Amino acid sequence: MNRRRFPWLSYLLVVTGAVLTVVPFLDMVMTSFKGPGESGTLPYRFLPEAFDLSNYRAAVDQLDLPMLFRNSVVATTLINASVLLTSSLAGYALAKLRFPGRDFIFRLVLSTMMFPPFLFFIPHFLILVHWPLAGGNDLLGRGGAGLTVSIVALAMPFLVNGFGIFLMRQFMVSIPDEVLEAARIDGAGEFAVWWRIVVPQTKPVMVTLGLLTFVDAWNEYIWALLVSTANPDVMTLPVGIQLLQDYVDPTRTMPIVMAGLVLSILPVLVLFLLLQRHYVRGIVLSGLK
Amino acid sequence: MVNALTPETTARPPRPRSAEPARTAVDPRARARRHQAVVAYLFLAPVLLFFAVFLILPLGFALLLSMSRWAGFDLADIKPVGLDNFTSLFADGSTFLTPILTNTLLFALGTVALALAGSVLVATCIDNLRFQGLWRTLYLLPIVTTVVAVGNVWKYMYEPGGLVNGALNAVGLDSVAFLQDPDTALPAVVVVQAWASVGSAILILTAGLKSIPESYYEAAALDGAGPVTVFLRITLPLLRPALLFVCVTQFITGLQSFALIIVMTKGGPGDATNVAALEMYRQAFSYGDWGTASAAAFVLFVVILIVTLAQLWIFRRRGEDA
Repeated sequence: MNRRRFPWLSYLLVVTGAVLTVVPFLDMVMTSFKGPGESGTLPYRFLPEAFDLSNYRAAVDQLDLPMLFRNSVVATTLINASVLLTSSLAGYALAKLRFPGRDFIFRLVLSTMMFPPFLFFIPHFLILVHWPLAGGNDLLGRGGAGLTVSIVALAMPFLVNGFGIFLMRQFMVSIPDEVLEAARIDGAGEFAVWWRIVVPQTKPVMVTLGLLTFVDAWNEYIWALLVSTANPDVMTLPVGIQLLQDYVDPTRTMPIVMAGLVLSILPVLVLFLLLQRHYVRGIVLSGLK
Repeated sequence: MVNALTPETTARPPRPRSAEPARTAVDPRARARRHQAVVAYLFLAPVLLFFAVFLILPLGFALLLSMSRWAGFDLADIKPVGLDNFTSLFADGSTFLTPILTNTLLFALGTVALALAGSVLVATCIDNLRFQGLWRTLYLLPIVTTVVAVGNVWKYMYEPGGLVNGALNAVGLDSVAFLQDPDTALPAVVVVQAWASVGSAILILTAGLKSIPESYYEAAALDGAGPVTVFLRITLPLLRPALLFVCVTQFITGLQSFALIIVMTKGGPGDATNVAALEMYRQAFSYGDWGTASAAAFVLFVVILIVTLAQLWIFRRRGEDA
């Protein structure tokens, strides 16, 4: 077949690209094992002389790793739970219920995907500062630091996701109306129809959305940096690891940073490799809208 | 929203008796419709509440800020200044237009060009191979990795004792101080952004490739068309929707990105890698100038809108020509 005339050329290109993609990761892992004075010296050497585990110990000692890990897990869990729930509820209403304003709300959901996130950094931050009845504020949001002192601040701007609602709606449209109608005739309310019939059928797309949301939330950097500048107690893993740059021993800074990075990306990498087929589906679906 | 609708169903005054027969004939359906609307708004309530607080309110507030001078947290101190923030962004001696906005466009253009070329090449090649899933998984690794990891690893690789210079030295070339030299810093960051975004582009292009019917290729083979002709006459034109999507989304991402730059260069040396979103971030959170920052954010938003519309327009016109 014409399509497959030069397999060797394809192999050459694809393998070269794959090597270019993977080598930085390997360099990160290798560097994380390098001993004092072994990194950043000339001539460059890829492999460590001996696999020195002390960088991992130093990264753990230097940072409050359990705290960073806990903050990352709490924020990611809050975001994921909320995105899955709100996307499923809203997706059901937009796909299967008739009500005035439906088209307008659907268009609003789509348009949220087009607003650049940086437009919202300042207002979001100020909204959290002035959140009523939180962090010493009064009913009008005056007085204290508001929600910025709470771990909830990490998750707040990401609790609803326009793409998630869109994905859920597209998937639910294909559920036959007859099934829902039969349940309604049997006396099920809309909530029961959603929970007993729609939710079980959407499990695959829930996994897809959950994984996409997890990866984004776990890797989020700028907002977490902002919030933890105001309150170091809610620092997340990416923000904390970046601080390792200021580590005092110049002959070992890089290996320790790399050790911290390896630790911070491991959870995402493992989850991604286990569920990557769902991740792939999410990206492909987003390209087909 | 919900409360505005609920009273209608509950607190309805009793109708006169004469209307009774008509009501029993129509009401069940009308009531069911009303009930469904109420339920729908209940289902949507969390989302609508969120949009009101975290989308509509911030947009209005950002617009207000862009036309004010304010450097604190006390809302009473906001001073309206009209379009001053915008004019000062474009005044003589301002660094906003050059180099910052220019850098932003170069950064976006560079990443789109590199990522698109790389992903088209690799996606079409993968389509010819075995173990396609394995290859695509490998290429996806950068996009599931935090920007802190990507930025730090590449920053380290660009150093005189790093991997990139190690490779240059191995083939007899001198080391380059990639991120310290104003001439090479921006291209060096562009390469990293492109490297990080090739994977998702490959996936979307693959989906596009799979939708091209095999029979087209068979017909071309019968006509004796070479691989280059097939690629230019069949693959590329039929891939246009996927290409458009990749182009537009990557361009928008490119115009908006700055996390990678914060991690790798902090905008330096000088302003060599400073981009609009980073400048906005600095104005707001380093200098506490919310007004200038919001104005910069809106200018960038408008630039993104124009560039996106232009791209859609160009692709549509090409479609008519073809």
